[in-house]
Amino acid sequence: MKISRQAQREAKQLFQTCHIDGKLNDDRTREAVKLLLEKKPRDFVAILSHLHRLIKLDVQRRTADVQSAIELNDNQLTEVRESLSKIYGNNLNYTFTKNPELLGGMRVKVGSDVFDGSVLTRLSNLEESF
Amino acid sequence: MSNLLQEIEAQIAGAKTEVAKENVGIVRETGDGVAKIEGLTGAMMNEMLDFGNGVTGLALNLEETEVGAIILGDFTGIHEGQEVKATGKLLQVPVGKSLLGRVTNALGQAIDGKGDIQGDTTYPVEKIAPGIVKRKSVDQPLQTGILAIDAMIPIGRGQRELIIGDRSTGKTTIGIDAIINQSRMNKAAEAAGDKDYRPVYSIYVAVGQKRSNVAQVINILEEAGALEHTIVVAATASDSATNQYLAPFTGAAMGEWFMDNGMDALIIYDDLSKHAVAYRQVSLVLKRPSGREAYPGDVFYLHSRLLERSARVGEKYGDGSLTAMPIIETQAGDVSAYIPTNVISITDGQIFLEGDLFYQGVRPAVSVGLSVSRVGSAAQIKAMKQVAGTVKLDLAQFRELAAFAQFGSDLDEKTQQQLDRGKRIVEVFKQNQYNPLSVPTQIVTLWAVQNGKFDDVDVERAGEFKDQLREYLETRKKELLRKIEVEGKLGDELEAEVSDSIDEFKKTF
Repeated sequence: MKISRQAQREAKQLFQTCHIDGKLNDDRTREAVKLLLEKKPRDFVAILSHLHRLIKLDVQRRTADVQSAIELNDNQLTEVRESLSKIYGNNLNYTFTKNPELLGGMRVKVGSDVFDGSVLTRLSNLEESF
Repeated sequence: MSNLLQEIEAQIAGAKTEVAKENVGIVRETGDGVAKIEGLTGAMMNEMLDFGNGVTGLALNLEETEVGAIILGDFTGIHEGQEVKATGKLLQVPVGKSLLGRVTNALGQAIDGKGDIQGDTTYPVEKIAPGIVKRKSVDQPLQTGILAIDAMIPIGRGQRELIIGDRSTGKTTIGIDAIINQSRMNKAAEAAGDKDYRPVYSIYVAVGQKRSNVAQVINILEEAGALEHTIVVAATASDSATNQYLAPFTGAAMGEWFMDNGMDALIIYDDLSKHAVAYRQVSLVLKRPSGREAYPGDVFYLHSRLLERSARVGEKYGDGSLTAMPIIETQAGDVSAYIPTNVISITDGQIFLEGDLFYQGVRPAVSVGLSVSRVGSAAQIKAMKQVAGTVKLDLAQFRELAAFAQFGSDLDEKTQQQLDRGKRIVEVFKQNQYNPLSVPTQIVTLWAVQNGKFDDVDVERAGEFKDQLREYLETRKKELLRKIEVEGKLGDELEAEVSDSIDEFKKTF
């Protein structure tokens, strides 16, 4: 879908007004979306889809997606949380998933930053080096 | 003992394998050799991106939520949702003497089937041109071996001289001739053990040309024995626009290595019109705003930053030079089109080739009135200045008179004489392709015309006379030519000797 520059600008303005103290406020965002759907301004679908994208990226930036080959025990969970909060601050959400395809180790993704210590990646790096 | 073991065990337990932080993104859309990637928040301008499977990309558009990248190599395997890694590196190409005699693509990979290119030095493709402090003025000649150019539009080492003209007027030929002449002079100096001679290495960059044409050029260079001093960078019409856009920069990086390491290089960009078209395509698919003739706003900067990299640098900064001869193809002789005017204003002069002259049989079809060299005259050797000083003026006067004389039949003696002289100069400047002339031969030929030695030869036979004179000089008067080369100027004694030699030849003609 083609999103016009005007719609992009408006979505960005809306996105910024949904912030309170530099953080995206869930209630305010919900209200903004509701109002948009009620009033149906020009190009509102495009504005909504761009807003959706901005929110998605914002959520991704604040979410640590931790994949591990085996389930982590409590100690490991806290260790992961502690070391990530050192880098990204305290208001980070965590999702922990088990992914046996990694073979071993862990892969952490925060926004577009990736810390990849999985055996799978090391094996494929090794494969590429030949 | 057990203590030691425990210590080591503790150290092993404490040693963590480092996990590096990587910056990744997800391909959101792809097509026409371009991909839009979501994420990659840390990507830098012109950074190389790893698409996996050996395919790399180049980040060109850094936008708010996404990165626009051009894909180098095969873009058909790239799909939506694919992960892309930032590498933190700029695009680099191999440089060095090991590339001489080789044919590479825009990424510096060999495409001539002679195996991989050996060498561990690489240079970034995009590099800032040498600054003001590093530069030195152009004062050494770069001989193209073409009499009309070396006499009237001299080129110096480190200069940027544009070759401009319509399709098939001999633009590429001038470039090839210049390359062949460099190679011949390099070999001659090597054979003579001349330590003072600085060899010139050539780089030929083919952008958007037919593969058959590139193959032909390589053949010509090989037959002339010039390939061993030449690097050919080819991004042909069947390569992607991305590669065509990068090829001149790749060639410039290879040339810069020679410049930085105390050597001289000549680079021919054949041609920048097609380069601008390829860049236009890349810009349009990246959805950058377009301007005049749909070229993006930075098409001037594209060529200016490329040609600024040609320079002559001082002793402290590499003591070398990179001479550029960009080629521009005009449409129906229109030099006031967008790209031609841009490149004319960037370069230090142009060689204008005219279709009409070409079809009249004046080859190389250099238009004397429209061609200039803004810095080259400082680089001309003294002997050449002595004989070529007034040639340009004589020719210009001849053209004016010839147009005038068409109307009347009765001409005074002086006018008739000027016309006759002009006709003979035109004949002398005619030269076969791939047959560059040495500097002393050029000087003696020009001296002969200037001093009336051609006046009693029929205009129809002037060409023949000139060719035989050259052959005579090169076979029988090697000593004289050598003397002119060493002395660098024509004194009275030398002039008398030249005159005697020509008279001697005339007896046999």
